[in-house]
Amino acid sequence: MGALGKPIILMVAMYVFLKFVLPNIPGSAPLPSSLIFLYLLLTASGIVIFETLSGESKDAFWGPIQRFLTGENIGGLQALRYGVFILFPILVGWQTYGSTAVSDLPPTESRTIHPAPPGEYTGLSNPVPKTPENIMQGKGFYAAYCSPCHGGNFDGKGPAARGFIPAPANFADPTTIAMLQESYLFWRIKKGGVGLPIEGAPWKSAMPRWEVELPDEWIWKIIMGEYDGAHQSPRTWE
Amino acid sequence: MKPANQIIGKVLRGGIGVLTAIMVGGATFSFAQESVSVRATLMTGGVPVDDPTAAAWSSAPPATFPMSPQVHWQNRIQEVTVKDVIVRALHDGKQVAILVEYADPTQDPDDAAALEFMVGDKKAHFAHGQPMLQVEGGPVNIWFWKNKTDKGVDMSAKGFGTLKPQEHQDVKAKGVYSNGTWKVVFSRTLSTGHAEEDVEITPGQFISIAFAVWDGRKDGAGDLVEKGSQKAVSSWWYFRADAPPDYSGYMYAAIAAALALGFQFVLIRKLKKGQSA
Repeated sequence: MGALGKPIILMVAMYVFLKFVLPNIPGSAPLPSSLIFLYLLLTASGIVIFETLSGESKDAFWGPIQRFLTGENIGGLQALRYGVFILFPILVGWQTYGSTAVSDLPPTESRTIHPAPPGEYTGLSNPVPKTPENIMQGKGFYAAYCSPCHGGNFDGKGPAARGFIPAPANFADPTTIAMLQESYLFWRIKKGGVGLPIEGAPWKSAMPRWEVELPDEWIWKIIMGEYDGAHQSPRTWE
Repeated sequence: MKPANQIIGKVLRGGIGVLTAIMVGGATFSFAQESVSVRATLMTGGVPVDDPTAAAWSSAPPATFPMSPQVHWQNRIQEVTVKDVIVRALHDGKQVAILVEYADPTQDPDDAAALEFMVGDKKAHFAHGQPMLQVEGGPVNIWFWKNKTDKGVDMSAKGFGTLKPQEHQDVKAKGVYSNGTWKVVFSRTLSTGHAEEDVEITPGQFISIAFAVWDGRKDGAGDLVEKGSQKAVSSWWYFRADAPPDYSGYMYAAIAAALALGFQFVLIRKLKKGQSA
């Protein structure tokens, strides 16, 4: 079984690596099952090609398989052979059933969290001078208009937030406003949930279209108050 | 030896493929989601269209959805009475009934509840199908119930301020209040023949549903606290009426297993012949 042992160990090791080790490497993510399948298929084809490169290695590789499947006097392996013969059709049947069964899961939503803003909202700079008074005023507007959902602590945990999916943005989280420019926030605050493009579907955002209620200057001050309150700074391209 | 080797090669490749498919396929079952959808259980016999307390409801799995004050559009509200709705649904292939249950400390004439659905294939914003600025969204179909009248109103909207009752009233509703809990059942035929304004419910297909509740209590001055756009809302969730049981999967599985078995026999015979030759 020497020639077969290595390929089997290699396949198992590859599966364990892809399924359990790789997702735990920092900066990585769990692989979709279709990708794992593809990688394992490539590994298997690689093994078959490698083992059949020369006549010698080919016989060493196929010999044991053939002996296992048809050979006589293989002792304890006889039981294993029948086990494989019984198990293989069952597994094929099971897999077929699994692939034809109707899923009970709702459709996957491929919502883009930060879709691209319309052209006129890229690269705008905050026209309001960054003075303590303006920041203070922005925080006041924030408390009045934004904090019911986004929270008094800028953490997305306001009293009105619980029913909304997606949850209101947590500004203290470094993956929200810290990676966006001020002009992006200006667009999202001004246009709200109804300003989202098609890739922002299924349009569950409850964000109001604040341009209807607040002057631009207030919105720019709110942005200033948000960054200051959440201890973040806007993304810049410098 | 040669042809046998080639056959084994093919089998092995196929076999490894199947085995890995099984390994990774098995893993997909672990991604269970929370109760993000209402499932209308298929039942035989009459659906309890006007009985929120019927025994049949115990056969429908409950799904709980959190509610928020309506903040998207003025006039908004920042606090609401109802924090969650528990939803169950039943259908018999013709009628569908949806039971909405929620805690409300007082029974008031203006207590009200509503279901909202997207209509057709167009997506709609959950806030009354509020027009989207960059994309054309679709209308929504709203099924409304109020304690005062205790009946269903079939409505359409495409944005705030456009809500109006439909010409064809297809929805029934009935509420029962007991022990601080409202149980309101909404019912309709699965399909109405007015696909441009009504949600069409096709068993087996997921559609979008949202909920709204008004607590009809009054403040010290005698004014309603929750009214109109001042209400408890949810954003979109999913709804699906169960499809009739489908056993074709078992048949395909049996055929595949039989093929695999037959393949094994042929393979072993060929291998044995190759050896003796």
